[in-house]
Amino acid sequence: MTTDSDRLLVQQIRQCDARAWEHLIARYEGRLFAFVHRRIKDLAACEDIVQETFIGFYTSLPNYDDRRELQTYLFTIASHKITDYLRRTGRHPLQNASEGPNDLLHLKLDDQPAASSVARSHERQVLESDAVARALGQLLDAWREQGDHERIKVMELLLVKGWANKDVAKFVGISEQQVANIRFAAVKKISEHVKGAGLSPDVFPELHSQ
Amino acid sequence: MIAREVLAAYLDDTLSDVETAQVEQALRQHETLRRQLRGLLQERDRGEHSVGAVWRRNRLSCPSREQLGNYLLGVLEPGPHDYVEFHLRTIGCAFCQANLSDLEAQQQENTPQVQERRKRVFHSSAGLLRKK
Ligand SMILES: [Zn+2]
Repeated sequence: MTTDSDRLLVQQIRQCDARAWEHLIARYEGRLFAFVHRRIKDLAACEDIVQETFIGFYTSLPNYDDRRELQTYLFTIASHKITDYLRRTGRHPLQNASEGPNDLLHLKLDDQPAASSVARSHERQVLESDAVARALGQLLDAWREQGDHERIKVMELLLVKGWANKDVAKFVGISEQQVANIRFAAVKKISEHVKGAGLSPDVFPELHSQ
Repeated sequence: MIAREVLAAYLDDTLSDVETAQVEQALRQHETLRRQLRGLLQERDRGEHSVGAVWRRNRLSCPSREQLGNYLLGVLEPGPHDYVEFHLRTIGCAFCQANLSDLEAQQQENTPQVQERRKRVFHSSAGLLRKK
């Protein structure tokens, strides 16, 4: 969620308010720098990439949807600039891969599926992602409210890190069956939500079993 | 070996520096892993997605900046404190780690170098707002 203060800032920047631009930089430059520095150790290069990120944000402003969280949006731009930089300097590992490395890299960079191979429309994919994000967001909110951090940990390890049930059980200190139950209940909720939005949960591998 | 979901997170650029380095080293060494990565890219090309990717890209479980600040100050309740630690260390969320190091730097007062750096970013880009 974009905060009111971010939304106001974006509004002012749209009206070419240089002070608002300065505020935006003061607010986000530090975390973007740290984010870039994680991948690139050269400080001058980091600074350039952060600059390119802000410039990229400004140029994409006409397409920026205020409902998107500003911070997440800036991180996404920074991430693209990092990949561009690594490619430019020939340091992207996919460039060293033996077969068709550049094709691979382009797939990642362009983010635009080739028209011939698109099975479903981009619009539909966005709807599907949004439905899952909403369902998960509601689940996480409910668990946070109940102070049930264990459930959040279980699902985050399973879905975000791809850990196996038995490893999650060992880490959290519950039984494998309990992990399986937590997964089952969460997947069921998400699937129902996706179906409720008139979409098929089958396009998400994690929801297949339901 | 590298879990498939970690490879997907690598594509999303949401891994910590340590994990990113591990994945890149493994990619350089193992053809099987590169093949797996290619497979993942093709799946994405076909428009297949995963719940994990949606979670990562929307930063669904990331603590707020305020919470991270309170974590640093050590004033969070034990439950949330433990969770933030888990998210930073075990999940290794790149976004939250970046926020944390920025907050740590702020605690030590903004150094002149950081102020200068910020000024340079401003001056290199502020012209954009006038050009219209
Ligand atoms: Zn996070």
